[in-house]
Amino acid sequence: MTSRTRRGVPLVAALLASVAVLFFALPLFGLLQRAPWSDAWDDLTSPVALDAMRLSLECSLWATALSLLFGVPLAYTLARGRFPGRSLVRAIVVLPMVLPPVVGGVALLYAFSVNNGVVGGWLHDVFGLQFTFSKAGAVLAETFVAMPFLVITVEAGLRSMDRRYEDAAASLGANRWTVFRRVTLPLIAPSLYAGAALAWARALGEFGATITFAGNIQGRTQTMPLAVYLLLESHQGTAIMLSLVLLFVSIVVLVLLRDRWFGAARES
Amino acid sequence: MKRQFRLVAALAVVVAVFAAFTASPATAAKQKAPKPAGSITVSAAASLTEVFTQMGTDFQKANKGTTITFNYAASSALAAQIQGGAPADVFASADGSNMQKVVTTGQVTADPVDFTANQLTIVVKPGNPKGVKKLADLSTVGIVSLCAAAVPCGKYATQMFTQDGITIPSDKVTLGQDVKATLAAVQTGDADAAIVYKTDAKAAGKTVTEVPIPASLNVLAVYPIAPIAASQNATLADAWISYVLSPAGQRTLAKFGFLPVPATE
Repeated sequence: MTSRTRRGVPLVAALLASVAVLFFALPLFGLLQRAPWSDAWDDLTSPVALDAMRLSLECSLWATALSLLFGVPLAYTLARGRFPGRSLVRAIVVLPMVLPPVVGGVALLYAFSVNNGVVGGWLHDVFGLQFTFSKAGAVLAETFVAMPFLVITVEAGLRSMDRRYEDAAASLGANRWTVFRRVTLPLIAPSLYAGAALAWARALGEFGATITFAGNIQGRTQTMPLAVYLLLESHQGTAIMLSLVLLFVSIVVLVLLRDRWFGAARES
Repeated sequence: MKRQFRLVAALAVVVAVFAAFTASPATAAKQKAPKPAGSITVSAAASLTEVFTQMGTDFQKANKGTTITFNYAASSALAAQIQGGAPADVFASADGSNMQKVVTTGQVTADPVDFTANQLTIVVKPGNPKGVKKLADLSTVGIVSLCAAAVPCGKYATQMFTQDGITIPSDKVTLGQDVKATLAAVQTGDADAAIVYKTDAKAAGKTVTEVPIPASLNVLAVYPIAPIAASQNATLADAWISYVLSPAGQRTLAKFGFLPVPATE
């Protein structure tokens, strides 16, 4: 009897779990069932859809690159640095993960808007930079919401790795940069990939901060989620097909994360 | 085997429960009460935000025991919500075509009635730093904020631009999901100009400067209102519509800058 209770799933749990599974599966089913497959190609090759896909790809890759460039050093600092206020810094960095993206967009506006921003006017006057209503603004908004995912994933990787390898390399005469490049980076590679993939997926799905901060200009700041939102009222078919593209990409990211990178992270 | 059976049984129960929920008839008898009471949700065009909020307060003061809840969004979004079964009792649209969508799907209980009208205007940053003087200046002013194509204010703007032969390069146009978002792009964002309703410009006060569009170049937006079939409180829904059409309601609309419905064409 004991072995049975341990192995089987209690009926109540199975019941509630089924409700949860239905809850997640029904919307997916709804989306698939409403998809206009006969017009799929026309929908996906319409100028608005093509512009949105191209822009989304471009902006999300830029956001991922920026997240790597600034996020890895930040994760390193948070994991290894000893300085006062470190937990405050971490809280500020992680905040965009829990902040409603629209609020993030408004906050970005009051930092980088040419007319109302803390530094926006200065950036515009001195460097001629304008983030609002520009592709750079869309990248900025996506980086703002995506980078925290990379930072906390990489930081966790750095904390869980065995530092004795670094010590060994250092004792054999490697300088800090060589140790980082040849020992640390390969050891945290799984978390780096996972963090980058999560950040990219988050950037790709960004909506609230982008529409609030960067605006909604076709071919410039109208990324796929923005296009989906607006097309839903005028060209529903295109909106659904774009949603399916995003859904497909999300599934691919999940499969990759699960089978390769998280798997590798668990083994090591 | 036993475990599999258990899972199948659990699934069957879940499906049965769902079926029971969805099958429950939504034909609750509507009793005609002489005095309006209870609460309704009014789905109203975003441009009605200020005036309906005021009228709601007035109405509730005059009819103790009633609660009017407002759901403001683009009329196109509201029509889609109602078609999707969102619980609304009254729909006030900023254009006829979005109202027609819910009429076509048989979701209104009475013919829509036009209750007010509006016109478009240009708003720019306070003090008009870019010196916008006329509609044609929008082609070159910089970033122009317009409502999205399906949103009434977007449709009216397109109609106006077509009629006046004005083109704005699409890479200079940012699209708002409703008229308030379109306005906000100038108020808090860096858009140089926006096309909104005259009433929005009035409600925005000093946060923007208005550049009026002459009547000869303008278009007229006519707003219809109708009770929604799924309403659980038709009495209150009708009372609200009567109030909007009443002299008192029309006075408040006029105070907020709305125009009377033009005499029948």
